[in-house]
Amino acid sequence: MFKAVINAETLRDAMEAVSSLVDEVKFSITEKGLEIKAVDPANVAMVSLKIGADAFEYFKTTPLEIGVDLVRLNDVLSMADRGENVQLELDEENHKLRIGVGSLSYTLSLIDPTAIRKEPRIPDLDLPAHVTLPGGELRRAIKAAEKVSDHVILGVSDDEFYMEAKGDIDSLRLKIPSTELLGLKPGEARSLFSLDYLEDMSKSLGKAQEVTLEMGIDYPLRVNFKVGQAIEVNYLLAPRIEQE
Amino acid sequence: MGVDLGDLVNKRKIELIGLSGKWIAVDAFNTLYQFLSIIRQRDGTPLMDRSGRITSHLSGLLYRTINLAEAGVKIAFVFDGDPPHLKSETLKERSKVRAKAEAAWEEAKEKGEDGFKYAQSSSRLNREILDDSMRLIIAMGLPVIQAPSEGEAQAAYMASKGDVFAIGSQDYDALLFGAPRVVRNLAITGKRKIPRKNAYVEAEPEMIILDDELSKMGITREQLVDIGIMCGTDFNPGLPRVGPKTAFKLIKEHGDLESVLKDLGVKIENYQEIRDIFLQPKAMDDYSIKMSKPNVDEIIAFLTQERDFDRERVEKAARKIEEVYRRGQRTLDQWF
Repeated sequence: MFKAVINAETLRDAMEAVSSLVDEVKFSITEKGLEIKAVDPANVAMVSLKIGADAFEYFKTTPLEIGVDLVRLNDVLSMADRGENVQLELDEENHKLRIGVGSLSYTLSLIDPTAIRKEPRIPDLDLPAHVTLPGGELRRAIKAAEKVSDHVILGVSDDEFYMEAKGDIDSLRLKIPSTELLGLKPGEARSLFSLDYLEDMSKSLGKAQEVTLEMGIDYPLRVNFKVGQAIEVNYLLAPRIEQE
Repeated sequence: MGVDLGDLVNKRKIELIGLSGKWIAVDAFNTLYQFLSIIRQRDGTPLMDRSGRITSHLSGLLYRTINLAEAGVKIAFVFDGDPPHLKSETLKERSKVRAKAEAAWEEAKEKGEDGFKYAQSSSRLNREILDDSMRLIIAMGLPVIQAPSEGEAQAAYMASKGDVFAIGSQDYDALLFGAPRVVRNLAITGKRKIPRKNAYVEAEPEMIILDDELSKMGITREQLVDIGIMCGTDFNPGLPRVGPKTAFKLIKEHGDLESVLKDLGVKIENYQEIRDIFLQPKAMDDYSIKMSKPNVDEIIAFLTQERDFDRERVEKAARKIEEVYRRGQRTLDQWF
């Protein structure tokens, strides 16, 4: 049994954070809330997201798992107006999710959760350097880097966060001293990342007031931020190897 | 095609591996003509799909580009825009040659003779060939750049700015346009047929470095352009009985084209305009040299469903280009 009401925009923003990397996911629902963990098909990026029970207007469930096609869910959610709520109710017998948006009522066929790629265990990584900055600023930097190259170096040196994108000739270097950051925990960090993954992620994190990046040397990047007030999103992105 | 400075410049054999990690800009028209003339069945018929559409160029683009990409050499394709009006004579001439070759090929076929060389010279580019080529290049994730005028000029501009490492071209025009490095024999592998002759040469990649050549010859690029104009370019027929060596000697003796012409008592029409075509090449800045994510599904669907390519081979090639794109990208597995 699962029945919930949530602000449509909140749910849409939350789903967007996931659907930029994966299309089919498993919702793990318990009395604490709804959780998604998924890896992209190439095993390069991972997303985990938690919508706590208190982020819902109404939330009642037994522990269960359902498989959802996010492309279709997003289609339905896009019908909702700003500020409107959506009603979610599981029809267990028919493997469908009933979604009520205003006077519209959709039934979304669910995917067998065992047919969805097994969710990964979130690795415990030692990422020494932490940087916190406004999401909009990070998004802008990613956009700028994309004009120059298809990959970017993120790093921390002394008390500044830097970003380097190098094309065949044009290059871009961005430095933000700790005084202009929302937070900095210095540490050894310098890794190379693919910009198309960062770009996918930036759609969501660009809206967040603060985004925390956790980095190491040639190590994955962890990105933490919130969608709205209460939804925690966490990305993990594998590095590239610096060539030549 | 283009100016022939082959006797004058020094070509160094290079290994493809030396170009690894570099971007090379190629004149797309030039490259497509090469594919269309080389990739043919034994009787000279180009590769075609079931409905008779030519596909030689697509085969060349797919397999050759991907082989290069696997070696770490990425290609940016520059398509010609409007030709300079001075090229119209050359274009008319080429069109005549093609029509003649086509007739000769038909005749050879009727008589049951070998018409391969005629077939080769009859290659034409049409809108469909160009559209198909662009579609495939884009699906492979490589840049398609539309030059305002000559593709070679745009490519040279990008190379002189350092956005690409070199120009891949069989023509020496690229040097006149100011390309700092020109790589020859890039689009073709191994044996290369000598145009209009029934002979083959082993084609290995070779590089010409503009500055080295200029300092070796002790001339400026302006003087090199003057030499080119004397020998004949796509924009003028050149002086009778003047080849690269003679032209070089004349320039060394007289300094510039004006003095040479005065001394010989001859004229070259529009020479100043031709100089400008080379020395102030028409080019634009609105391009980006980077690889985007190859669209494997599109490559496979386009070539197998619409152009009747062998599915297995195309799939293999498409997967290779995707691997190239992902090269250096680690996966999260090692941290799980």
